[in-house]
Amino acid sequence: MAPNLDREAEHIKEKARKDLLALLESVRGKKNVVFSKELPGIVGLFVGFSVLREYGVEKVFVLENGNTDSSQRNIIYIVDGEDVATVQAVAGQVKQLQRNGNVEHEVTIAWVPRRTLLSNKILEDEGVLGDVNVQELQIFFLPLENDLLSLELQNGFCELYLDGDRSPVYVASRALMQIQQRHGLFPRILGKGDNARKLANLLVRARKELDADEANTPYTTMPSTSIESLIVIDRDVDFATPLLTQLTYEGLIDEFVSIKHNKAEVDSSVLGAGSQSRPPQGSTTIAPTSVSTRQSLKQTIQLDSSDPLFSELRSLNFALIGPSLSKLARRLESNYEGRHTANDINSLREFVNKLPGYQSEHKSLAIHTNLADDLTKYTRSETFNRELEVQQNIAAGADPIYQHDTIEELIARDVPLPNILRLLCLESTISGGLRAKDLDTFKRQILHAYGYQHLLTLDCLEKMELLQSRSSASALLLPVGGGAPSATGTKTNYGHLRKELRMIVDEYNEQDPDDVSYVYSGYAPLSIRLVQCILQKSYLQQLHKSPLPLTPSSTGWAGFEDILKSAKGPTFNIAQKPNDERVSKAKSALAGSGGIKYVFVMFLGGITCAEVAALRFVAKKLRDGGQRRKIIICTTGIVSGRSIMESLIQSETLASGIKAA
Amino acid sequence: MTLANPRAGWEKIGPEFYRKIPLYQNIFDEDLDLSSYHVAGAPFSGALALWRDTTKVTRYRTNAISKTGIDVYSCSGKLISRINWDKGAIKGLGWSEDERLLVIAEDGTFHVYFGLHGDFHPFSLGHGAEDAGVVNCRFWSHGFVALLGNNTLVAVSSFDEPRPRLLSAAPEGDIHAWSLIPPAHTLSRSVEVLLAVGSTVYVVDVSEAEDRGLSDGPFKHVSVSPNGRFAVLFTDDGKVWVVGSDFQNKYSEYDSKAKTRPNNIYWCGNDSVVLAWEDEIHVVGPEGAAAKYYYDDIVHVVPDIDGVRLITSQSCEFLHKVPDESEEVFKLVDAPAPVLFDSIELLEKRSPKADESMQRIKANLPEAVETCIRAAGQEFDHALQKQLLRAASFGKSVLDLYSSDEFVEMCETLRVLNAVRDYQVGLPLTLAQYSQLRPDRLITRLIHRREYLLAIKLSEFLRLPLNKIYVHWASQKVKGAGGDDDSVREVVVERLKGKYGISFEAIARAAYDEGRGNLATLLLNHEPRAGKQVPLLLNMEEDEVALDKAIESGDSDLIMFVLLHLKQKLPLATFFRTVNARPQAAALVESSAHNQDKELLKDMYYQDDRPVEGSDVLLEEAMQQTQVQAVIDKLKLASRLLTDAKDPNAVIHAKSLAEATVLLKMQEAFDKEITDSSGSYVGLSVNETMFRLIRSGYSKRAGRVQSEFKVAEKTWWWVRLRALVAARLWGEIEELGKNRKSPIGWEPFYNEVLGAGNTRLASSFIPKCTHLKPAERIEMWIKCGLVNKAGEEALAAKDLDTLETLRDKATGAQVAEIERMISKLRPRR
Repeated sequence: MAPNLDREAEHIKEKARKDLLALLESVRGKKNVVFSKELPGIVGLFVGFSVLREYGVEKVFVLENGNTDSSQRNIIYIVDGEDVATVQAVAGQVKQLQRNGNVEHEVTIAWVPRRTLLSNKILEDEGVLGDVNVQELQIFFLPLENDLLSLELQNGFCELYLDGDRSPVYVASRALMQIQQRHGLFPRILGKGDNARKLANLLVRARKELDADEANTPYTTMPSTSIESLIVIDRDVDFATPLLTQLTYEGLIDEFVSIKHNKAEVDSSVLGAGSQSRPPQGSTTIAPTSVSTRQSLKQTIQLDSSDPLFSELRSLNFALIGPSLSKLARRLESNYEGRHTANDINSLREFVNKLPGYQSEHKSLAIHTNLADDLTKYTRSETFNRELEVQQNIAAGADPIYQHDTIEELIARDVPLPNILRLLCLESTISGGLRAKDLDTFKRQILHAYGYQHLLTLDCLEKMELLQSRSSASALLLPVGGGAPSATGTKTNYGHLRKELRMIVDEYNEQDPDDVSYVYSGYAPLSIRLVQCILQKSYLQQLHKSPLPLTPSSTGWAGFEDILKSAKGPTFNIAQKPNDERVSKAKSALAGSGGIKYVFVMFLGGITCAEVAALRFVAKKLRDGGQRRKIIICTTGIVSGRSIMESLIQSETLASGIKAA
Repeated sequence: MTLANPRAGWEKIGPEFYRKIPLYQNIFDEDLDLSSYHVAGAPFSGALALWRDTTKVTRYRTNAISKTGIDVYSCSGKLISRINWDKGAIKGLGWSEDERLLVIAEDGTFHVYFGLHGDFHPFSLGHGAEDAGVVNCRFWSHGFVALLGNNTLVAVSSFDEPRPRLLSAAPEGDIHAWSLIPPAHTLSRSVEVLLAVGSTVYVVDVSEAEDRGLSDGPFKHVSVSPNGRFAVLFTDDGKVWVVGSDFQNKYSEYDSKAKTRPNNIYWCGNDSVVLAWEDEIHVVGPEGAAAKYYYDDIVHVVPDIDGVRLITSQSCEFLHKVPDESEEVFKLVDAPAPVLFDSIELLEKRSPKADESMQRIKANLPEAVETCIRAAGQEFDHALQKQLLRAASFGKSVLDLYSSDEFVEMCETLRVLNAVRDYQVGLPLTLAQYSQLRPDRLITRLIHRREYLLAIKLSEFLRLPLNKIYVHWASQKVKGAGGDDDSVREVVVERLKGKYGISFEAIARAAYDEGRGNLATLLLNHEPRAGKQVPLLLNMEEDEVALDKAIESGDSDLIMFVLLHLKQKLPLATFFRTVNARPQAAALVESSAHNQDKELLKDMYYQDDRPVEGSDVLLEEAMQQTQVQAVIDKLKLASRLLTDAKDPNAVIHAKSLAEATVLLKMQEAFDKEITDSSGSYVGLSVNETMFRLIRSGYSKRAGRVQSEFKVAEKTWWWVRLRALVAARLWGEIEELGKNRKSPIGWEPFYNEVLGAGNTRLASSFIPKCTHLKPAERIEMWIKCGLVNKAGEEALAAKDLDTLETLRDKATGAQVAEIERMISKLRPRR
């Protein structure tokens, strides 16, 4: 019997925790731990730092800070082993420690998520391999929520689309293989996009390799009876969606404050420290960053389902946050009022027992009220609304030329560069490039307004085909209409898909949305529509009005093949057959068909919070429709337009070296 | 059928019985003089290693080649292999749990032999072992500790990647004896060493050496029980002490009354101790009781987890405590188990008494059956095993409900045990050893002994995977087989066809190690796992194939590994040629070079004729320069690369780089001319430069920047407006307002100024916003607090409703004014 998939997230967490603690235990006595940059946050997802202390950890360092000291004999490095620079930094530091410390250090290196040949070679070349204990800490998927597994690769997006480095696809395949080894094969792998296809190939290949592995037994090669399929969506099929500003509560927090590993750093005022001392509302043209650069104390808050209030709010459209908060406040108040009606000892005791719950709810209500208030400052600002207007016009297919004046004005008003680039890239992505003349003008304006170092930024965007001129070769190949000759588009044709998949929903019920488009206030993400092509065929048919080639028993991509030719990359559907048909039949007969079927949806290159909300919405619709299906979302990482742009934008100026000197 | 008396050879030592089971007879060649050899045996009845004791004089024999070596025998005396040894005196020799042979030389070199046939990995102890010399070593299941001449202790706790670690410094003085507690049995989970120094014992681990405060030494022998809980000490005056390994309790004492000290002390299981002299053995049980065994010739003792094997030239025996179930079943009392056992004999005689005794013990029959089953597992004698099982079978046939699982399992286990105990194989495992060793490792042992057929049969019987056996077989095949490569490949592939989980990489490696490169390549093509192929391919110098396989695997680590290898090995041009044909590899080289090796990147772009990227690298370098002039120089270099390029992007780059240079020069000049509290101008963008200049009151200079860079009018106005507002230069804003037209309209002026809190100035722009609707202008007036003005606007627009709402907003004198306007509009009655 395969383990329960509902507890998969828990299982992964528990395993990671156990492995880490075993690692700490394997080094006797007190020790210092050195993490590479991203790891403290990642480790924080499954183990508290106070627990590390219990296991003898005295001090924690970050590798990149280079301040590891000799205060303990035992030093454990827990570092990312995939990155050459990190490996070299470790080797350098170990050598340093050996040279100058008067203590003889006992160094252990644990590579995450695996020990690589490269790390071996570098350590060997540096002559430290023999002096250190090497281990590996296999952490692949990290559960952010029970239905959300992320690899938390911070550079995943750049690696895939800028560097052409497919490591994220490989790591994803390893992570999904772990799922397959525990629960059986995905009976069907569906997907869209080049990297998605590569991932599927790797999975098929990994299965073959597993067959050849000595350690394997033939029992894990059966298709799972509890998993229905794996749907892989490559981010580059739909670059437009993350470029739009997310309009769910969680999405907006990620856009403006940034959420990392379920945590966000906010002004301490949000925690209610001094709400009265907060500065008055800024000018109407206040730029979003001017607040975040304000000198103030930052504090970390946890944003996940451990806060019941947040799980209620996170997926709502921001427009509903105010009313929801006041409703919650009223509910809480009436709960508190309960003490007056408690007139005997029993009901009073009941009330007192509930009190801690009310109090924590109260605290979290205060936090979210303050946070929402802070966000409102941005969302009410004139520039934000101008940006939003441009985004929505472009997404709706209005002629982008009419937006150019606004974009130019925003540049002149020194709106942060990421926001500008998002608008331009959005236009380029949706309408297949900018006119060469316009592109040149914008480039000049950007270089003037933000500095010549952004020649590099612009080159990056162009290389990724996020920002390009309409005349460039790849834009010419934009497949037109449903009758495109080739089965695989080289570019996504939003114009065609917008119509066919009803991506723009003009009238939707804000109070009780009935379509995923609410997450972008009227725009349904293409990525989500793709998933719906598989999971909600009849719903899309209903939207589409004219009949699609669908039958009630259609599965996979059936009915949408022609439409999908207008989206970039190959569309595929692979069935994973068991090695032994008979055994598998017997097994599935035993398992019966009444159980819940799980659908894994893997977003390569990252997913936005709004898309997560949309997928959860789809899952809810399925559940409401009486289907026994659940969705588990997997991704290489959570992205937002902000994080994407930040990773692409050149952060240094021509005077960086001079200033540093 | 007559059975050997099951109690033959039992000795009572204290309350317990001990027995010696003869395992094999005539095990060694008659010429082999065991007295001049050391013997070390692997745990779980594993192989025996014999090597010559160099301190003993041996008879010189003309026909014997006097070379040093280590002979590996099975317990039944079958020679498995001869291993050459030329590293000088052997100072330590032992076995790991997985039957790897460790040999430590005096200079600290040590070899880990795996697979019993002389394949080894060499390592070195380091930590000054070369100079101090190794004195001797103690072993545990996964490691060993070496004692050096200068009383230093070096521990090795893994044989896969040995990392010799220095233990804490030992105290001064002669070490009379020493032993170790394996990591699995210590609190610290790392090895602890017991050193008998002076009259006490020290416990030494990684961090400290602690005196246990004993005073009855010197102790001439120290030994720790297999479960790590007890230690035995042998005092100078011939006494044996059994104490807890934490030295808190003393459990028993025995006076050996021996004049000569025993050669060694071993534990026999966890509850008795064996003192071994050349030809005499004392078994000391709890409470100081002892039994003595005498031999004609030298006897070697090989301790195991549950007893000791006694090796003489003639025989191999196993001495252990009689297991409880055996004792119970063979006990001469009227108890259920013995009755059940005896009833079989009665049954065979067709005596009705059989049934009678059944009825008599019926109440305890289930336990009796169980005892018989378990006792069968303890026996080596087949007839006795059968008899016990038959008794159990008879017993359970009488019972109404009885699960036969245990019975069936024991039958299966005994079949396995009997098969491997055969003298041809020579693995006399006890049941306890077998259950600790586990079936899969037993199979591995068989593979190492090249008992492939038996291994396959047993694996099938035990439902274990067969792949390792096939791979090992094939590896030996390719090593040993003559004939041309194709035919060998054919034999191997044919034999392994359709088999599950075969690692062709391992087989290919064996072929390659044997020097048959071509065969290795042929075999490697059958390997499905790209990751496995790559390192071997690199060894074989099949670089391009290795790169292709690595790319195929999709694993960046593998690709980078190969690339690193190639970069170190190939000339640069060849390297680029190899890489450029493979886009994914090229992408990786590019992205890693970007972080590591800018020069390589430049070369790459140059060779590829990608001037824009090349100039980008220089632009990045420019940003690292610490002098303005150096930045400018780099920018020049960058633009020089673009001189011949024609494509539009290159043109923009060239132009921008030139502009950047001009800007830097202007900024440098501003820094000299202007003292400005907010720092240097260098590094600012064009717009930022203008902004700062205007804010600091240097509008003329800002204008120069605007014309130099042909900044668009709209932008220029916006920058001016923002800068003036930021500096609160209201006068200048008013000046601007005197212009007839603004390219950005007047609304921004109103908004920005209002945002900065100057309602008076802001309101002055409202009348200029002529294109706005009255309603919007009314709103603007209201924001400035000028309700009257709003009212006028409404009046002009004849908007009565708005006026009425304005009345509510109005205060003081405004109210009357609004009323007046309302009355103007309101139709006269």
